[in-house]
Amino acid sequence: MEPIELRFTVACSPVHAFEVWATRTSLWWPHSHSRSGDPGLTVTIEPRPGGRIYERTPAGVEHDWGEVLAWEPPGRLAYLWHIYGHSEDATEVDIRFAASGDATTTVTIVHRGWERLGARGHDLRRRNRQGWDGLLPHYLRACHLSTP
Amino acid sequence: MPLDALPGDPFDALGDANRRAIVELLRSGDRSVRQLADELPISRPAVSRHLRLLKQAGLVTDRAEGNRRLYRLHDEGIAVVREYLEQVWGEAAARFRLLAENTADPARRDAP
Repeated sequence: MEPIELRFTVACSPVHAFEVWATRTSLWWPHSHSRSGDPGLTVTIEPRPGGRIYERTPAGVEHDWGEVLAWEPPGRLAYLWHIYGHSEDATEVDIRFAASGDATTTVTIVHRGWERLGARGHDLRRRNRQGWDGLLPHYLRACHLSTP
Repeated sequence: MPLDALPGDPFDALGDANRRAIVELLRSGDRSVRQLADELPISRPAVSRHLRLLKQAGLVTDRAEGNRRLYRLHDEGIAVVREYLEQVWGEAAARFRLLAENTADPARRDAP
């Protein structure tokens, strides 16, 4: 099954684009895209291979979303992803941040591993494709509005 | 400008006929909950709930004027959704999708 591939540009440096995604995730991640749906939640991506990716509610409840595979600022971030499922159902998200001009960065996202999910793969791939649409406008806005 | 923390999904927000109708009404100017409810087949509390979702999605913003609250389209939030659609889906698809979302007639949406 084909990976989901998304490519777009943001008007900032790769350093800023990487930081907004990886270290300031709580700034823009929609709480509608979480396990708890809690408006006060924080999102953490631990900055190392093997690091946890998780949400934490103000009451201290944590839900694991995935595990960092590659932490290579500012060019690449890759992780296993299972926000709504079990870790054995994880798919793989691979994000590249490449300078593409003066203060412009091309972000390329490849989200693969659908074939591992068997019969559910098609449906989950379709739902994740919609999920990216709901997520990424917030990331674009955060890149453009937050200070480097 | 400060960022709103943890907003909602703009496409989920536009996936409801009443919320699209609210967006369409706000295109012609700022309105209060009461003014919106007068033009829609839903109650004021329902309008308020829809506005809260649209606000979380970054599509609508509000301000106090006297003792009432006026809602308006959040140009920057709508611009970033358009920018995303144009980049990822292509310009023609983005125009089609925004047009479809903003011109749907909620009263007729079930008709063929």
